[in-house]
Amino acid sequence: MPSIVERLIEDPLNFVECDYYDCFQISCADIEQIHLEGAKKRFDQLRDSIPILRKLASEQRIESIEQINDLVPLLFPHTVYKSYPFSYLEKNRFDKLTRWFNTLTAEDLSQLDVSSCTSIDCWIKVIEKGTGLKPCHTSGTTGKLSFLPRSHDQWYTQINLIGNMIRDWHGKNSGPDLKKNHLPYVQPHYKSGSAALLRGSQTQIEVFSGGADNAVYLYPESLSADVASLAGRIRVAESRGELGLLRIQPELLARRDEMVERERQRPERMKEFLQEAIARFGGKPIVLSSVWPILFDAAQDGFANGVSQVFAPGSVLISGGGLKGRDLPDDWRSQIFEFLGFDQAYEVYSMSEMMLLFPSCTEKNYHVPPVLVPFCLDPETGEALPRTGRQTGRFAYLDLLPDNYWGGLVTGDEVTMSGWDEPCGCGRAGPYVDHEIRRYSQKEGGDDKINCAGTPEAQQRAINFIVNS
Amino acid sequence: MFRIPLIVRGEVIDDCLLEFNGRRGEIGFCTPDVEHYIDKIVLQRPSAMADLYSIDFESILDYLSELSERLNFTNNAHMQEAFDLSCLTSGLSESILRYQYENIPYYFQRDVVEDMTENLIGIDNIEGWVEQRPRNNNDTKVSIRAFGSRAVHIIAGNAPVLAATTIIRNAITRSDGVIKLPSNDPLTATAIALTMAEMAPEHPLTRHLSVAYWKGGNESFESKLYQPRYIEKIIAWGGYASIQYVTKYLQPGIDLITLDPKHSASIVGKEAFENEQTMREVAAQAALDIASLNQEACVNARVIHAVCGTNEKGLANVNRWGEMVYEAMQKLPDTISTQHKAFDPQLREELDGLRLFDEDHRLIGGVGSEGAIIISQIDEPVDFSHLLACRVANIVPVDDVDTALKSVNAYTQTIGIYPETLKQQIRDNLAWQGAQRIVSLGGAVNLVAVSTPQDGIEPVRRMCKWIVDERHSNNLPLEAI
Repeated sequence: MPSIVERLIEDPLNFVECDYYDCFQISCADIEQIHLEGAKKRFDQLRDSIPILRKLASEQRIESIEQINDLVPLLFPHTVYKSYPFSYLEKNRFDKLTRWFNTLTAEDLSQLDVSSCTSIDCWIKVIEKGTGLKPCHTSGTTGKLSFLPRSHDQWYTQINLIGNMIRDWHGKNSGPDLKKNHLPYVQPHYKSGSAALLRGSQTQIEVFSGGADNAVYLYPESLSADVASLAGRIRVAESRGELGLLRIQPELLARRDEMVERERQRPERMKEFLQEAIARFGGKPIVLSSVWPILFDAAQDGFANGVSQVFAPGSVLISGGGLKGRDLPDDWRSQIFEFLGFDQAYEVYSMSEMMLLFPSCTEKNYHVPPVLVPFCLDPETGEALPRTGRQTGRFAYLDLLPDNYWGGLVTGDEVTMSGWDEPCGCGRAGPYVDHEIRRYSQKEGGDDKINCAGTPEAQQRAINFIVNS
Repeated sequence: MFRIPLIVRGEVIDDCLLEFNGRRGEIGFCTPDVEHYIDKIVLQRPSAMADLYSIDFESILDYLSELSERLNFTNNAHMQEAFDLSCLTSGLSESILRYQYENIPYYFQRDVVEDMTENLIGIDNIEGWVEQRPRNNNDTKVSIRAFGSRAVHIIAGNAPVLAATTIIRNAITRSDGVIKLPSNDPLTATAIALTMAEMAPEHPLTRHLSVAYWKGGNESFESKLYQPRYIEKIIAWGGYASIQYVTKYLQPGIDLITLDPKHSASIVGKEAFENEQTMREVAAQAALDIASLNQEACVNARVIHAVCGTNEKGLANVNRWGEMVYEAMQKLPDTISTQHKAFDPQLREELDGLRLFDEDHRLIGGVGSEGAIIISQIDEPVDFSHLLACRVANIVPVDDVDTALKSVNAYTQTIGIYPETLKQQIRDNLAWQGAQRIVSLGGAVNLVAVSTPQDGIEPVRRMCKWIVDERHSNNLPLEAI
C-alpha cells in the first residue's frame, strides 16, 4: 500500500481520503517533495487551459517548475478575480463578464448563452446550469465582488475535508464524525446564495446535517449577489459624478432601501432566530459556524435575557477570522462558551479563494495542510522569504487541490510563518502560521497622518461618522 | 528618536518625556506633555488679543520678510532638521522635499504676503473699519473690520508648504493660532516657530502662535482645548482623519472650517490630437499635472478625460498619447518628481490584476515604483480610480466633452484643461458640477504661491471674524416707546 506521501504526490486530491491526523505528521522534507511535485503537476496541467496563467507564464518566461520558488512570479494577485469593470454589470454586458471569467478557468464558457441575463444572480445560474461550475462570489472591503470559478465537486471536497478535520484534528476519531452522524445546523446567516460563505454552509448542511430541514437560519431567504454588489457599485458610481449615478440601474438602487431596512431589523431578527434555535435544538448537540464578534453579541443578548448553556456538549463550532477590529473584554471566549453550553471549537484560518483550511492547535498556531504550498513574501520586493526560521511577510500560496482553476494567489494578509526547522509545540510537523494575522491595508494611514489629497470614500466615512456620532 | 519641542507663544519647551513610537517601522518621536501646558497654550483672556492691534500691517510685513530671510534653508538649522525628519515621514522624496524647503522663504516675502492679503481679504479690511456703500434713503452707516480669531489648525502634512501657509495666514489675519502637527510632517511648523522665537521672542506675532503635537483623540487634552471660551475656529485639513476627533467638541461658538480631501482631474480637448508635435507638448503638460510633488497633493491630476473619440482612430490616438505622457513623466526633473518612495501596496495589487486582463484598460509601466499610465479602452475610468496616486493616472477617451463634464463631482478640486478655448467654453459648467479651480493644463501644481480662494470656500476670510459697526441716524422709532 502506498504511503501517505506517495498518495499525496500521486494526486493532491487524495488528501480527502488520507488520514487527516497523519497528514500533519509528515516531515518537512516529504512536504517539500509533495509541494514540488504537486506544483509541477498543476502547472503542466493548467498552463495552457487557463488564459491568464498562460499570459502570466509567458510574460515571466516560465516554461516549467524546477524549484518551488519558480512558482512565486506565477501567483495571481488576488485582484484578478475582480478585475472586470463594474460597468459590465451596469450595462448588462454579461457576455463580456463571461469572457472575462473564461480567462480564469480551464472550463470552456465560450458556448454559454448569457444574452438573457440582467442580473448577477441570473448569470451565475446560467453558468451553473451549463457547466460543471458552481461559482461563488466574495465581497471585498472595497465592495467589489470577486468571482471564483469553483466547481460543483470542489464544494464537496472542501466540506469533506472539514468533516475530516472535526473528526481527526485532535487525534484519530477524537471528534464527532458528522458525515456519518448528522447534527442540526445553526446558521446565523442567509439560507442560501452564491456568496462563498453560503456555498460552504449550504454544503455543510447537506453533508453534516442531512439537509435544510435540520437547520435554522437567521434569514430564511437567499442573499442576492446583486444586492451584495450594491455598496461597491454605488461607491464607484458616486466617484464618477452625475454620470455614474445616471448609469446605475434604478431598480437596483431601490433595493438599497430593502437592504438598509433588513440591516435595521437585524437585532430584532437575531433575537427571533435565537429563540427559534433554542426551541428546536436547545439542549441538543448542534453544528454552528460563525465569526467570534457575532457570537459574542449573541451571548450578550442571551445573558441579558437570562439565557445561557443553550446547546449540549458534543456540539461543534467552526470559527475564525479574528475579532474583525472589535474591542472585546479579555474573557470574550469563555463568555461565548458559557452562552453556547459547549467549548468544542475549531478555529481556522482560510479565505474564500482557498479550498483548504488551516486548523488552529493548542499552541494557537494555524497549521498548513501538506497539499498547500505556502509562501511568505517580502512585502517590498515580492520575493519569497527563505523556508527556515520565523518569517513575517505577505502570505501567498498555491492550493494544490483545484484542478480547473489556478490555486496560486498572493493575499493581502501579513503572516508570521515557522515550522520548517522544528515541529510546533503541539507536536505537529510542517509549516504553521502565527495566530496574529492582519491585513496590509490596515497598515495604511498611521496615526495623525493628514493629507489634503483624498477620495469620496474617505469623505463618505467622514459623513457617516458625523451622522452616527 | 526625534525631539519635537513644544512652542508656546515664543517659549520653547523641550522636556520631551512623551514618546510616540512609530508603528510598524514608522519613525518615532518624543514631545513634551501638552496637558501640562494647556493654560499657556490657550489664550484665556480675549483682551490679550489687543497687542496684535498695536502693530500695523507694515510691521507685519516687516516681521514676515525678516523671517523670510532667516528661513533660508542653507543656514537655518531648524529647517534642516525638519527636512531630515520629513525625509523619513513624508511621501515626497528627498530631492522634491529639498526644493520645497528651499522655496519656503519665498512665501514670506513682503510683496508675496502683501498681494496675498490684498487678494484674499483686502488690506483695508484688516487694517481698519471700512465704511460700506450706503443704501438709498437709509442713513444707517455700516463699517466692517476683519478681526483675527482664536483658532486651532489641524494641518495636513503631505507638503511642508502647508505649515508655512498656515503661519502666514495666522499672522496676516492677526489671529491667535495653535497648530496641531501631523505625524507625516511633525517638524516644519515647529522649525518656523522656533525661528520666530529666536528672531523676536516678544513680538505679538510670535506671542500668538503655538505649535504642538498631541495624539489626535487625546480626550483629556482636547476636551480642555476645544472650549468656546478659548477657541473660536477650528481649521481642519484632511477630512475624516482630522475631524474624527474634533466633531464631538463642536458646539455653538466653535466654527469648523474643513479643507476636505480632494482629487483633481484634467480634460484634454480634441485639438490636442491634431498633430504629433501638439500631442507631445500636451502630453508634457499632462505629465506635469500628474506627477509634480509625486502626486501627493490634492491638485494633482488623476483621471484625464481625452476628447479623442472612442472609435478605432480615437483609441489609436489615445494609446499613443498615453505612451507620450508616460515618457514625459519619466523625464521630469527630480526637484519636481521622482519614483515614489512608498508605493501604495493596495494600488499595486489593483495594477497587477489589471495587467493580466487588459481588454478594457491598458497599462503602461507600474512594474516598480516608476509610476504608470492606465489607458482606458472604453469611455470610463478604472473602478479603483479613487486609489490613483504615486504617479499613476488613468487616461479615459471620450466622444464628447459632456461625458467628461458629467464625471466631475464635488470632490473634484482642480481641473486642468487644454486648450484655452475649451476652458473658456466649459468653465461655468465645471463650476456647477463641483469643480473648484480651473487651470490651463500643466498649471495644476503651481509651485509658486498664488493668492486665490481655496476649494471654493475662502478659508482665509472665514478665519476672520467680520465685525460690524452700525451708526444709526436720528430717526429710530424712539418716540414710540
